Amino acid sequence: MTSPAPAHSIPDLPADAPAPSAAANGHAPGPGAPTPGLRGPGAPVAVPRVKVIKFSHVSKRFALHQQRPSSFQEMLTGLFGKGRRLTQPPAELVPVAREFWALRDVNMSVYTGEALGIIGENGSGKSTTLKLISRILYPTAGSVSVRGKVSALLELGTGFHPDLTGRENVYLNGSLLGLNRRQMDARYGGIVRFAELERFIDTPIKHWSSGMVMRLGFAVAINVDPDILITDEVLAVGDEAFQRKCLEQIAQIRRLGKTIIFVSHALEAVRGLCSRVIWLDQGRVRADGAASAVIDQYLDYANERHRTRLLAEYATRHATPGPLADGSSPPPADAELDATDDDEGEVTEEPGPPAAQAGRWGNGQVAITDVTFLDAQGAPGNVFTTGDRVTIRISYHAPQRIDHPVFGLAIYTESGVHLNGPNTRFAEYDVPFIAGDGHIDYLIPALPLLGGVYDLTVATTNHDLTETFDHQHRRYHFVVQPNPQLAERWGILYIQGEWQVGACDVEDAPADAPADPPAGAD
Amino acid sequence: MLARTRDIVTYRDLLRNLVVRDLKVRYRGSFVGFLWSLLNPLLLMGVYWFVFTQLLKQGKPQFHIFVFVALLPWNWCASSVLGGITSIVGNGHLIKKVYFPRELLPLSIVIANGVNFLLALPVLFLLIFLAGMHFSTYILWLPLLILTQALFLAGISFFLAALNVFFRDTQAIMEVGIQAWFFLTPIIYDAQDVLPKLAYWMYWLNPMASIISNYRIILYNNGLSFLDSRLVPAGGGPDPAFMLRTLLTSALVLVLGYLFFRSLSRRFGEEL
Repeated sequence: MTSPAPAHSIPDLPADAPAPSAAANGHAPGPGAPTPGLRGPGAPVAVPRVKVIKFSHVSKRFALHQQRPSSFQEMLTGLFGKGRRLTQPPAELVPVAREFWALRDVNMSVYTGEALGIIGENGSGKSTTLKLISRILYPTAGSVSVRGKVSALLELGTGFHPDLTGRENVYLNGSLLGLNRRQMDARYGGIVRFAELERFIDTPIKHWSSGMVMRLGFAVAINVDPDILITDEVLAVGDEAFQRKCLEQIAQIRRLGKTIIFVSHALEAVRGLCSRVIWLDQGRVRADGAASAVIDQYLDYANERHRTRLLAEYATRHATPGPLADGSSPPPADAELDATDDDEGEVTEEPGPPAAQAGRWGNGQVAITDVTFLDAQGAPGNVFTTGDRVTIRISYHAPQRIDHPVFGLAIYTESGVHLNGPNTRFAEYDVPFIAGDGHIDYLIPALPLLGGVYDLTVATTNHDLTETFDHQHRRYHFVVQPNPQLAERWGILYIQGEWQVGACDVEDAPADAPADPPAGAD
Repeated sequence: MLARTRDIVTYRDLLRNLVVRDLKVRYRGSFVGFLWSLLNPLLLMGVYWFVFTQLLKQGKPQFHIFVFVALLPWNWCASSVLGGITSIVGNGHLIKKVYFPRELLPLSIVIANGVNFLLALPVLFLLIFLAGMHFSTYILWLPLLILTQALFLAGISFFLAALNVFFRDTQAIMEVGIQAWFFLTPIIYDAQDVLPKLAYWMYWLNPMASIISNYRIILYNNGLSFLDSRLVPAGGGPDPAFMLRTLLTSALVLVLGYLFFRSLSRRFGEEL
């Protein structure tokens, strides 16, 4: 290693650590035991297992800002002018200690060669953890020890100066990461080649596109031989080909026995890249272990939470109408929709609050009063498993007779990807007429969705699709849990394709040569 | 402390690159480039020369040299202090994203401005030569004096840069403060004209007063003594004891400023 002496090595890190003592809460499948799949063919580097990061009882507190004077004026008025301050209501003058614990008593050790993913909801402490590792923040309590050079891809192109040329910025950025001129000379060519910016490298980067700047930033950060590479949702750089190159480079860094820490909300990307995952929940380590196990655990938790929320919503919705609340018959139409009886045209918005809800429109000649999801046994619920038989029941109320209405629905992922949009007209299924209360079912014989949370849109229109009676955009939700009998878990859809091997051309291929799985595969 | 020093050594190229960046960015895109850093004190010199010798009948011989000798080091001081104050706050995007020894930011400002100062010195020498003045061997004191000033400026910059992170008013206050400081330092007047009682305090409270007086003794008074010995009665070079005291004061300012900076620097990442 030509990198400079470890900038921040702390005496309490033994050079050769024993096998990892699983982490804090005893999840154990030997985190980071060398995953064979990730060691590509040409990577026989025998790297001694060394503890490179150690958090012991780390807590980090942030003072929430509004209370602390940040200028002399505030400090002085705070001291002398308490009663007279006009800008803030008196209540805020009470010096409440407002603080926020981003991390609480976190213990973890990371070893060379590990690819560690950190997952958790927003505000769970992921970024704080990264910043503690990269010494941007320091712990309030406990100690953080880091051995070796950390290169953090927290924000690409950090430290680039628009007036300097690409070349000058490469050297500046390299030195920001602790490399000296000689070391940068050795890497310069590779960096420029990697970024594919040979033609522009001697022009000031203010003339570049932002994508080019990002590429150069990535190329520098990843080519400085970090001992620990930290990435925080930054892999979305450049086009597909460049991204692939970046992933390859990351895999290569791992093969060299370096440590990678990857923070992302893209759980499947984490699963593909990491051998071990730590799940942070409100600043505490909730789980620490083999990537897939922890991610599944996290998904279960997220789904469960969502389910509870949905059930609560469901309960409230069904409790409001009154006497019929727990009856199986559809509740009476909402008050505001009744009002449309004598008031044709637009939905009037006066009496009930729901009419004004976002994502709902229509003239109200038919009102969709409820949507329920039924399982194979006909029991209502919101949680299903991939492959389940599911019935979506749309209950309606039509104050007047409507001939040949059309009912439709659409399923979205939680992030808003539109998955499908069947309706009775596309299906050439004629509903002769409706009047009063009733329901229509959409039957899904085998739910083809993989684990996740999905939104449902329902709508009803006239036969020509020109007049919308009621459209409720993504106002219903259901959860799909991974099917334990299915290994497939990447992406959204389970489309039940089949594999078939073709004839092999090569005659002298040894029958049982085990092909090395590609790096990055699990 | 040792780790800290080693850290700075590891990142020495960053320091150099920051200095170079500062100088390059300053001069790139401007037509006259580096000349600006000369033009500025030269123009000021012209203004002061006009005001004090043409309008006000100042009696100093070679008044333009008298002023220029003091203006150059003062410019180093003023631009280091003003640049140093914002060196941490202005680089918040870096500090929140990358680790590197934060000391390097104010330090690079002081050094870049020091380089500017050094590059302007030959012009000063040329002016002295053109004015028919001579150089004495006391000029050998100059490196020590420059070192003294560098230590002092680094200490002040450390202190103000860290303070400004927590009290942003520092910046605004110093913009005015630097004006007052200018007039409280013997730049457009002679330190010997200050009332003796007050001169004592001026030197004690304002190391820049001592530093600038020494520049003037070395480059102006002694140069002039060759020209006309009656004008400068004191004759001789700088008082070694005085120089030493100034050096020690500057070193003390550096140590205190650095300790202050150190004790706050861990919180920069969350305050910015």
